[in-house]
Amino acid sequence: MQALEPYWGRQALDFVDAIEASKTTASVISQFERMIGRLGFHAYIMAGIPTSGQSLKQLTVANGWPAEWFELYNRENLSSIDPVPRHCFRTLNPFEWKDAPYDREHDQPAHRVMTRARDFRFHEGFCIPIHYDDATGAISIAGEHPYLDPETKSALHLMSVFTHGRLRALSRPNPVTSGRRLSDIEAEVLRWAARGKTAWETSQILHISERNIRWHLEEAQRKLMTKNKTATVATALVNREIVL
Amino acid sequence: MPEIHVVRKDNRHLYAEYFDPYFRLRHEIYVKQRKWMDLDRPDGREIDQFDTEDAVYLFCIDNGQLIGAMRALPTLLPTLISDIFPYLNIRGPIRRPDVYELSRIFVIPERRGEHAGPRVEMLLLTAIMEYGISVGLTGFTIVLESWWLPRFERCSWKAHPLGLPQMIDGMSVLAVLVDCDDTTWKSLCSQIGLTRPTLIWRGLAGVNRLALPDISIPLPPSAQLAR
Repeated sequence: MQALEPYWGRQALDFVDAIEASKTTASVISQFERMIGRLGFHAYIMAGIPTSGQSLKQLTVANGWPAEWFELYNRENLSSIDPVPRHCFRTLNPFEWKDAPYDREHDQPAHRVMTRARDFRFHEGFCIPIHYDDATGAISIAGEHPYLDPETKSALHLMSVFTHGRLRALSRPNPVTSGRRLSDIEAEVLRWAARGKTAWETSQILHISERNIRWHLEEAQRKLMTKNKTATVATALVNREIVL
Repeated sequence: MPEIHVVRKDNRHLYAEYFDPYFRLRHEIYVKQRKWMDLDRPDGREIDQFDTEDAVYLFCIDNGQLIGAMRALPTLLPTLISDIFPYLNIRGPIRRPDVYELSRIFVIPERRGEHAGPRVEMLLLTAIMEYGISVGLTGFTIVLESWWLPRFERCSWKAHPLGLPQMIDGMSVLAVLVDCDDTTWKSLCSQIGLTRPTLIWRGLAGVNRLALPDISIPLPPSAQLAR
């Protein structure tokens, strides 16, 4: 195991320290854009990968893609055929776009996405999968002739993950001071319950199993210390943990 | 709900029966499942040079069965970062009485990702903060697989990188320093719905413990007005 030259390592650590101290989304994004620019990248996106029924727009944390590409990608729902997001479900480690596997002869749609990306000067790209228990996302960065040596990739990996984390933290209400106790998914499930949906119906709407829905309901019930679903919904509404 | 026990040199004798299953579980998880072959030993127990009497363990026990654990080592003594992965830390060595290094954090496969009650992994992450606050620690160093970072962020563990991620045995790994503070613990408690401390300090009455912050969860202003 060879230690990498620490130049980019130190740059990356300084970068992380700076964004952790930054108080606004705009400042974090401008620092990130400047940094990836130095490494030869001109476009990026940080987003959840849509599963059926979700749109990329809803799941976007930061959008640094050219407007035209973002529109095209959304309109034609390219995330369902693009081999890069697809590969995120199969790996825990970052990878270069060129290493996202697809069948070049038979998977024409995948090949078309990769070719069209070149129209936007996305000649090479780097992708960092983000894995949660209930969702998968990615940070994807592209450029014409970016630096993609091991040290740069490692620094880019670190800086991107921390930028993504910082942006999420800045956009989230503080659970301790706001008094909010429910997770996003628990609140979502309760909102549907408040509209009279059964666990099964909610499972169809949110594309998660009925068993999962019941678990989220039970968790919400436990957290709010209530006795049944009706009382949980009522308490969540009164406390404004959910709003209809 | 599973119990989380603090096990250290002063009360280790009370947990003697758990250590053999503990080291066998580690072998099962780290050698057989994750294939960290450097740790392989013919006796089927994964014990390394850091399992000394100075190590502190959290044992997660449910109905007499060990279902998860975590190890904390004083950074004043040799640790994984100082002795095995020094190149993961380019900020300079951390040897401080108020920082411990966490390792061998696991939950047995059949109890991972549970939804009924708090998840065991979240309980462990919450419990180690409670331990740290109680004994006056300010941080934990950890070598972890990089894909854990967004999960830490999501559960409000504040991690500061110590160096760049590196590929080790096909997996991206990095070293971080995580803050141990009241805010993190309170936030974790509210996320998993805990309203009181969870640690069990059996046989550790002699240990001087600092007070924990209050974690009764405040109602939002609108609800208080309605009363």
